[in-house]
Amino acid sequence: MTEAISLGVGSLVVLVALIALRMPIAYAMILVGGVGIAIVNGPSLLMNQLKTLAYGQFSIYDLSVVPMFVLMGALAAKAGLSQALFRAANSWLGRLRGGTAMAAIAACAGFGAVCGSSLATASTMGRVALPELQRYNYSGALATGTLAAGGVLGILIPPSVVLIIYAIIVEANIVTMFMAAFIPGILAVILFLLTIAIYVTVVPDSGPAGGASDRREFVRATLGVIPVLIIFGLVIGGIYAGLFNPTPAAAVGVTLVWLYGALQRKISLGDMKDALKETAGTSGMIYLILLGAELLKIFMSRINLPQATAEWISTSGLTPMTVMVLLLVALILLGCLMDSLSMILLVIPFFWPVLMEINGGIYQGADGAGYGMSTEDLKIWFGILALIVVELGLITPPVGMNVFVISALAKNVPMIETFKGVMPFFFAEIIRVVIILLFPALTLWLPQILR
Amino acid sequence: QEYTFKLHHLLGAKAPAQTQMLEPWAKQVEENSGGKVKIEIYPAMSLGGRPPELVGQARDGVVDLIWTVNGYTPGLFPRTEVMELPFVYVNDPVAANLALYDMFEDDLKEEYKGLEVMFLHVHAGQAIHMRDKEVRKPEDLEGMKMRIPTRTGAWIIEALGAAPAAMPVPELPQALSKGVVDGAFIPWEIIPPLKIQDQTQYQVEGADMARFGTTTFQVSMNKDRWDSLPDDIKKAFKDASGPDWWAEVGEIWRASDDAGIKIAVDAGNEHIVLTEEETDAFREKLEPVVDRWVEEVTAQGIDGAGLVEKARTLIDQHSQN
Amino acid sequence: MAPASSRRPGHSSTSTARTSVTADEKGGAGPIGAARKIIHGWALLGGCVLLAVVAMNMISVIGGVVWKPFPGDFEMTEVGVAIAAFSFLPYCQLTYSNVTADIFTSRASPRTIAFLTAIASIVALLFSLLLCWRMFDGMLDQKEYGYTTAILQFPHWMAFIPFLISLALLAIAALITFGENAAVLIGNKSDD
Ligand code: NA
Ligand code: NA
Repeated sequence: MTEAISLGVGSLVVLVALIALRMPIAYAMILVGGVGIAIVNGPSLLMNQLKTLAYGQFSIYDLSVVPMFVLMGALAAKAGLSQALFRAANSWLGRLRGGTAMAAIAACAGFGAVCGSSLATASTMGRVALPELQRYNYSGALATGTLAAGGVLGILIPPSVVLIIYAIIVEANIVTMFMAAFIPGILAVILFLLTIAIYVTVVPDSGPAGGASDRREFVRATLGVIPVLIIFGLVIGGIYAGLFNPTPAAAVGVTLVWLYGALQRKISLGDMKDALKETAGTSGMIYLILLGAELLKIFMSRINLPQATAEWISTSGLTPMTVMVLLLVALILLGCLMDSLSMILLVIPFFWPVLMEINGGIYQGADGAGYGMSTEDLKIWFGILALIVVELGLITPPVGMNVFVISALAKNVPMIETFKGVMPFFFAEIIRVVIILLFPALTLWLPQILR
Repeated sequence: QEYTFKLHHLLGAKAPAQTQMLEPWAKQVEENSGGKVKIEIYPAMSLGGRPPELVGQARDGVVDLIWTVNGYTPGLFPRTEVMELPFVYVNDPVAANLALYDMFEDDLKEEYKGLEVMFLHVHAGQAIHMRDKEVRKPEDLEGMKMRIPTRTGAWIIEALGAAPAAMPVPELPQALSKGVVDGAFIPWEIIPPLKIQDQTQYQVEGADMARFGTTTFQVSMNKDRWDSLPDDIKKAFKDASGPDWWAEVGEIWRASDDAGIKIAVDAGNEHIVLTEEETDAFREKLEPVVDRWVEEVTAQGIDGAGLVEKARTLIDQHSQN
Repeated sequence: MAPASSRRPGHSSTSTARTSVTADEKGGAGPIGAARKIIHGWALLGGCVLLAVVAMNMISVIGGVVWKPFPGDFEMTEVGVAIAAFSFLPYCQLTYSNVTADIFTSRASPRTIAFLTAIASIVALLFSLLLCWRMFDGMLDQKEYGYTTAILQFPHWMAFIPFLISLALLAIAALITFGENAAVLIGNKSDD
């Protein structure tokens, strides 16, 4: 058993070293997993498993939603849904102090409802809202910080690619996960809006009020969000209501967004090509990481690492809650260095079996469980918590991808200002994690009543 | 311990298939070998890949032993498929397993290339599980989308005017819960591990436990690994896998099937047992499935009609004992 | 989604957004330019397969409402998305879309980064050749044993043909990225 742990730790060190040396994360995982299997069980075994392994992984039915939701987000940006959302939100909130920033948050949430990715949300809404925020003389820190943080909503509000991947790893129901994410997602929006309200009170000049919009603009802008409501209602509402499962839902979403853009003559053939290439880049990357993760999993499984680690932790005498908090802190720290998807793929296969053992095994009901809930519920609750903390990595230094994206758009704002501006949102997120940790019902309630 | 074998399969570690069949069998082999054999069971595809890859993994020696559903690799085991046909298999897994045992050497073995079969078995037979539609006659299934694991199952569904949806068992609860499928043709024994009682309201079977076909499974070893074993080790495996064991596996599956329906009934689901007449209506609708299968395999040069005949005769013989 | 830092060789920006298409479509002249065009075109073709899967699911949804769903939608979604995903791999390599963690090397010189990226390209090259060879054998197995999908009985080996083409293109893409970075290393800045 200790042999397994030392072998596992050794290979993780190599993995981290490769990643630090700029090896793409997918290839680092493929290398360590593949070479590990070849060393432990002989190369011919690996050679044989590679005959069908990639096909098997790439053809997982549940995964088919990933490229579709990516395509849907790409098309939504081209179709001008982002502008429509921001315009409406600004007509409602713009007159308040910090109102345009609040509008940006609301628009990010709206865009998140049709887009599965944080980064896409940050860059799309950044392009739309940043010029406006600067026009109203928002401080660089607040303007860019808001958008970097708002991007995170892209993944916290369903659909969410990272959540799909999590569900596949722990064999949770994607639909249940989407339902569970809804209230925590709304909570994030509320906390972000509060954060802005407090921010502009503490630093008064950072977010001046804009003019109130006239009645006609208010009505027209508000009508502009109807397409988003319809699309979200049909796609996510359709999933929640059981009209269809995520894959056909995603197909419906892609079609509707395309129809919207095509009818408005906003999606040309060239736009379609761009959207497909964006989908190719993002999905190809995800699938390759998945293949790497599977190879790594096989290697870890063959040296019995998950069992050894779980045994080691469960005999350590830590309380279940301590273990949970430690795992979340580890994810936050890792998030400083890695991106969310790779983290989920790399870490959850180790963390989840441990939590499951602590809780009492895969079929544990609520009575007598380590966390006071059934393992099925634990799966959901931990998934949402893990999702939030891995996404925090997008706005924490030194690697904070959302911050980089917004910085690249706001050339006149030093990156350090953006990191400063994002800090209040980071604390709002920590508060949210604590709230969700203390009140599991916030996560579990919706899936239960909709079941 | 001189010989370690990795046994890979797709269900969870607490599934009855592991706890009641694979573990006792492995233990018996280990005992027979006087402790020279050690069989490590890897559940839930933990050695990588997807369920359809299991046969290839055994063939290529990626793992030593597998337990898998023949139907996950459609087209690979056409002869064994005879036992899956509706009203060839009716209601007796013990008799079906023994019939498979009798047919194995002469009729089935040739399609297990690269594999050394330890044992084959069926489950207690497909019954109908419905989300919210009561089913008493074939017409009730028209237009329904039903999950099925095998191609013969798909034909059953088509013969009943429903639409088939193939997916591995673990994906079923999600599909059921959201109405991706309206129901499923699966045995009762899958009810507890997947909590099917929560996703369905009706459990339907024919009179005298008659079912709508079944599914065949195999436990097989990589052929080269097998050939490399000394005779005493081979004997340890063979002694644990004789006809008594095949029959016992039938009893094991019957018992967990009974346990499964009890859970659904206790959960308040309706357990519908069709009358003789209602069952005959299904039998009549499903007879063309057998013809379709015969036609299909005859085109591949297999004596389909002969296999059906033989399977029916052997099942009859064994159910009378 | 996963933030990816896609990078052009010889640039030292910490990262650029994945969301903007960073690909150069101009391609350039000669065989390398042609290869680039083919890789872009192949990814788009894969994108069209994805669109076909979207369309098939739409038909199945509408069919489910009106009459009955398209039979075999599950299995054809699986096969179609796998074909699309493979076709995206060469494009990802060519456009440096595979996510890397830049934190430890953010201060490294362009030459150091080019060196590391060249090594990563070699890994990609070896991997693509290995997988291409293994999956060729996989295809022969699928064909010999007659693996098919359950409902439409689509023979799986046929899906391996586009997979193998994708992997061959991945090898070419890896060669191109290796060349780009080698050019930076020997002080001959690649232009694009
Ligand atoms: Na989203
Ligand atoms: Na970070």
